[in-house]
Amino acid sequence: MNGVVGKMFGWFNNRLPVANTFERHLSKHPVPSKVNFWYLFGALAAVVLIIQIISGIWLIMPYSNTEEQAFSSIEYIMRDVDYGWVIRYIHTTGASMFFAVVYLHMFRGLLYGSYQKPKELVWVFGCAIYLAMMAEGFLGYVLPYGQMSYWGAQVIISLFGAIPYIGESLEIWVRGDYYISGITVSRFFALHVVALPLVLIALVFLHLIALHEVGAGNPEGVDIEKYLDEDGVPLDSVPFFPYKVLNALVGIGVFMTVFAIIMFFFPEGGGYFIEMANFEEANPLVTPEHIAPVWYYSPYYAMLRAVPDKLGGLIIMGSAVAILFVVPWLDNSKAASIRYKGVYSKVALALFGISFLTLGYLGTVGVTEVRKTMSIICTFIYFAFFILMPIYTKFEKTKKVPERL
Amino acid sequence: MQEKDNTRRKVLIGLTSAVGLSGLPFVATPFIAAWNPSARAKAAGASVTIDVSKMQYGQQIQVAWRKQPVFVIRQTKESLAGLKKTLPKLSDPNSEAIDEPYRGLNLTRSKSSEYSVIAGVCTHLGCSPKYHPEVEPKPWDASWSGGFFCPCHGSMFDMVGRVFKGVPAPTNLPVPPHFFNGSILTIGEDGGVA
Amino acid sequence: MTTKQKVIKINKSVKFLLLFTLLFGINNLLSAEGGPCKDYGDCDKFKYSLNDMESLQSGASTFLNYCYGCHSLQYSRWGRIAKDLQIPEDIFFENLVFDKSIKAGDLMTGAMPKDESAQWFGVAPPDLTLVSRVRGDDWLYSYLRTYYEDSSKQYGVNNLVYPGTAMPNVLAALQGNQKLICKNIPIIAKNGGEKRDSEGNALTKEKCGFLQVEEGTGSLNKEDFDKVIYDLTNFLVYVGEPSKASRERIGWYVIFYFLIFTALSALLYREYHKDYH
Repeated sequence: MNGVVGKMFGWFNNRLPVANTFERHLSKHPVPSKVNFWYLFGALAAVVLIIQIISGIWLIMPYSNTEEQAFSSIEYIMRDVDYGWVIRYIHTTGASMFFAVVYLHMFRGLLYGSYQKPKELVWVFGCAIYLAMMAEGFLGYVLPYGQMSYWGAQVIISLFGAIPYIGESLEIWVRGDYYISGITVSRFFALHVVALPLVLIALVFLHLIALHEVGAGNPEGVDIEKYLDEDGVPLDSVPFFPYKVLNALVGIGVFMTVFAIIMFFFPEGGGYFIEMANFEEANPLVTPEHIAPVWYYSPYYAMLRAVPDKLGGLIIMGSAVAILFVVPWLDNSKAASIRYKGVYSKVALALFGISFLTLGYLGTVGVTEVRKTMSIICTFIYFAFFILMPIYTKFEKTKKVPERL
Repeated sequence: MQEKDNTRRKVLIGLTSAVGLSGLPFVATPFIAAWNPSARAKAAGASVTIDVSKMQYGQQIQVAWRKQPVFVIRQTKESLAGLKKTLPKLSDPNSEAIDEPYRGLNLTRSKSSEYSVIAGVCTHLGCSPKYHPEVEPKPWDASWSGGFFCPCHGSMFDMVGRVFKGVPAPTNLPVPPHFFNGSILTIGEDGGVA
Repeated sequence: MTTKQKVIKINKSVKFLLLFTLLFGINNLLSAEGGPCKDYGDCDKFKYSLNDMESLQSGASTFLNYCYGCHSLQYSRWGRIAKDLQIPEDIFFENLVFDKSIKAGDLMTGAMPKDESAQWFGVAPPDLTLVSRVRGDDWLYSYLRTYYEDSSKQYGVNNLVYPGTAMPNVLAALQGNQKLICKNIPIIAKNGGEKRDSEGNALTKEKCGFLQVEEGTGSLNKEDFDKVIYDLTNFLVYVGEPSKASRERIGWYVIFYFLIFTALSALLYREYHKDYH
């Protein structure tokens, strides 16, 4: 670099660590040289976050956060605003895709032990992101003020009522009214578009900084920091640019193709992404025949319904998310990756996966006796996977983890 | 061998970047188009009609079209005759600098020989000029013979909205599309009927 | 990965799948829920054709002549429909818009005051802009064809898909008087064949709930009436999401674009992958 541009860059670089930060966190950041497709979902989540922020900003412009106008302003966006439907479908599809990639990203973590020492904080920040996303998704779903927005919010806010002593007044305080009214929509709007995105971005920043401090994992669970070259760069690593970038680009291409297929051909996702009842304006006097949450909450909803007690249901639902945070301290295994863990871990993870998916299905359909029993069994397996983890990871026989990738 | 490899790389980099970048305008399209006036805005900005038969000679009324003032003036014979007097003061008497829809049809610049229809937004910085039909010395012009004066930055226009020389406004006040059906004036549509 | 590992892996996924199907199988067996079409059973399938302008135009005409008297399309604008359905605006306003003060940009807010109509029908006739998205295309197509005479009801009709519906059968003059009848139908044996007695005659049993139109009471035959309803439903699908046709058209280009992009970046990735592998 030379000439005026070079001088200007030098001036900045002496005052702001531009080049250093760029090299450390982007261009030269070492990543394991051998990873599989499971390691793409983090980058994809970042892509969806950006998509959501941009499409979200554009949706704020024509959206109206009042009781009278919220619902019709969505139809205004869909019909009267030029290409408004594109922007709205980007955002609704993006919401579902965000959860899809984050669920896969989290499963990758369980599969390859991406929470083990020294990556505990990366995992904990990740769980916090997931929690913030759940809140963000819930608040966003209320904004169109359709029947599902209303009754979904009604159910979730009623959960606060389960808290002893303060429950009922807390409910009214959250709503700011005796029902989910314009003022509720208006405050949820503020939280959805300003407060939680700020929290999310801050958490993503922390997640990445912590990750770059300890280095990314790999499907073998090998510690690549053990063998370094003379410059201190791990031998089994490649620089982020261009190698990881190109890898991610392929992933983004595939992901965007799937995104486009859903967005342009199945934007309602068969009623799972945008529920049919939400095309009807909120009516506080008529509950829809069948209330189901959007698919990404349905496992927890199934757990809630499995417990025949209001407070108990709330506690189970809360613990199901809370227990994720402590996973790094539950796993006693010497091996990080499922490839080298023992048979107990493999069976446990398989059962966990099945029961989580089953819960997800059960949460979207009506209750019957059999389904209720299944929900109880699956909830039990869900918790057993975590609670028994210290035991089965301690006593099972692991394979020897290789030295090099 | 090495050389050949690099060519393949360069071609692929070029192709991938070209395809990637060519997508950007398409991605940007909905986001740019979403800022256009929506169907609701267009509907609200559709034509307005008004019966002008009740207007007094010399009277000016303001009609809101697209929430913007449009001046309708029922000109007197004197004021139309007086237009000639101010001609030397005008900077563009034939409205050559703007797109004049009904050029040479009437002295009023409109489709009617009696009523003027003028957009009431100053071509300088968008204030709305005031109507001063009186022929009398004014603080801003000692030989004022009627017209419009903009209070914001002192631009002056004659009785049919043509701009004076030496004022900040660059062009004449434009004439919006309109048509008369008897005494019913429609602003915002050309109608095709003179 | 060795072959043995691969076999194990495949084995595991097969087991996974089996278990999964088993779980879902049990679940579906034990939970026969009523479908959305209620007494009618399975809804008739409806496949929209949003590029068939003739069908959409005929649907719009049916809607404006028979439905718009009571039902609004409050999020839709007159001019948009004329434009999307390729009806020249003057012809559209001449023939289909009965209130001459209406402008192209106006919303189709309905011809009937809401509280008045609520008095007449017990409930205000709902706005139908989004009905196809709330109820689904199949439901609509079935609902409009399953009215039958039922003297116990206010308007002398009831509906199989929506029992107790508040709407009278506005299209009865076209369809004719439809009644519920009973029929003798062959008994189906467990092996799927028809049951026969010892002399080879088919055994039958009486089953009720079939719809039949009294001959000669309607101005259209069944096919023509079904076509009218098809067009009407098609129009309501269009109104539910006017950009649907362009959405699906643009979608192909976008997918095509991303496939090319994916292919190129995959080639580039492979090229660079050689550096370290």
